Amino acid sequence: MIKLDSLRCNYGKKTILKNISLEIEKHLTILGANGSGKSTLAKALCNLIDYEGTISIQGRDIKELSLKERAKLISYIPAKLEVYDPYISVEEFVLLSRFAHKKNSMDYSDKDKKITQNTLEFLKIAHLKNHTINSLSSGEAGLTLIAGALAQQSKIIILDEPTANLDPHNCKIVAQHINGLKEYHQVILITHDLHLASFIDSPTLFIKDSQATYYEDDFFQDSVLKELYGVEFSNLAVKYE
Amino acid sequence: MSKFFIWLLLLLILFISPFIGAVSLDVSDVFRPDSLQNSIFFELRLPRVVFAFFAGSILALSGLLFQTLFRNALMTPYTLGISSGAVLGAGVAIKLGLGSLAFGIAAISIFGFLGAMLTILLLIYLAKFLKNSHYESILLLGIALSLFYTSALMVLFYLGSAMQNDILLRFTMGSLSVIGWLHPITITAIGFILFLTIYLYRYELQLLSISDESATLRGVNTKRVTLVLLIVSSFAIGTLVSISGPIGFVGLIVPHIVAKLHPVTVNKRILKTALFGGFFLVFCDTLTRALQTQSELPIGIVTALIGGPFFIYLIISKGKS
Repeated sequence: MIKLDSLRCNYGKKTILKNISLEIEKHLTILGANGSGKSTLAKALCNLIDYEGTISIQGRDIKELSLKERAKLISYIPAKLEVYDPYISVEEFVLLSRFAHKKNSMDYSDKDKKITQNTLEFLKIAHLKNHTINSLSSGEAGLTLIAGALAQQSKIIILDEPTANLDPHNCKIVAQHINGLKEYHQVILITHDLHLASFIDSPTLFIKDSQATYYEDDFFQDSVLKELYGVEFSNLAVKYE
Repeated sequence: MSKFFIWLLLLLILFISPFIGAVSLDVSDVFRPDSLQNSIFFELRLPRVVFAFFAGSILALSGLLFQTLFRNALMTPYTLGISSGAVLGAGVAIKLGLGSLAFGIAAISIFGFLGAMLTILLLIYLAKFLKNSHYESILLLGIALSLFYTSALMVLFYLGSAMQNDILLRFTMGSLSVIGWLHPITITAIGFILFLTIYLYRYELQLLSISDESATLRGVNTKRVTLVLLIVSSFAIGTLVSISGPIGFVGLIVPHIVAKLHPVTVNKRILKTALFGGFFLVFCDTLTRALQTQSELPIGIVTALIGGPFFIYLIISKGKS
């Protein structure tokens, strides 16, 4: 369980999020306009940025966790897979997710390699394992990022705009995998893809004007959406089944 | 296959290098004890090759390290002004007339070392005022420091006597000429320390070569790892430059050549970069002795003459992609 207590995030002098208190029991989808602070909230959860207030996971303040402990609890999937090293392969990239499970200065164990191999096979991208990251298509890159999060074996997985750069076919593949993640992981999904959000169907947090509103299960109704987005909706079609 | 021949050629040069120079040596004479050839070989040439090899390794490894840590192809101890700091330190020692020894180490070396270490500490301090993601700004800081040091060095030249200026000028051009085994052994030991440190952090380095954020999210204490690696490599560079003077371009070009020859992830290039750096500097040093007319060409000039055009090629080919 994740607990936020009077969370406040500033960027320079600008307040991005304020006064957010929330208990996240299980899955959560975070929606909101561009620049509303969705990613800021995700980065605060990973302790990547400064914030006021407290965030605790399973009763422990995340600021008190060691980096490796935190990595075993939370993995974060960014919107885009960007690497400086142009030569790193898919397999090597996914194997790096085992870093927190590895002894300092030692090589990755056979178990780590086995987990990597199984994850690649599970996501049906084992044939890409020797390809360099930079040669992947957006869809393949999206699956590689998910493979990384799975290999990290963290309880919580945060996905930041996983379908932002994908065509409808790859959206569907990624959406189905995210839905599958819900079985063993606590999935926190940030998106403005309403089709994806309604398909994943988790409780929803809507962020607007640096405030957050929580919807247990009554978010995806035309009247609610119209009020929040100011756009007419009629029966948001679910396409990912 | 061409890869194999490049490595083989460099290895061959390593073995013939000690026999090339002002006095050409014959294998049969070299192993005759008490001959002049014997002492030239064992007291001058062999130590010099060892010194050049490990100096090249340190320069290349530091280049690889800086380029990976800052994720910028132009980051090296040389472009960041760390070498210039050492030169200025040495210049001050020469100007003050500190020729004497302290604990068997020349004052020039101590001042040179301090110059390099002060520069890296200054860069780390100044970098705190920058936003974390803007590593280009550190490069600009380094270039600004380099220019400042060069001007300060000009002032020393202006104030110096003809003899002081001659010593200083020779120092700024770099030299691998050593007598006996003290310096080669020092640099060998430091080369091993640097290699071992980088090897211990090889997976942290691999994660840092993706991005700072990815490394943090997977459990790397990026600030601590970066600091440890920067301090160790600056210590190595500081010691080296205080003995040899600045030798540019090796740190810049060798990691790129190795990456072109062996396009694999960074932790698989550490040993190759160290070896290639060593071979490359021995090759350049052999050239200085082979091409000599009245006296040897300074090593810094040879590496810059080869490295300069390569640097331009690198910038142009980067622009194309």
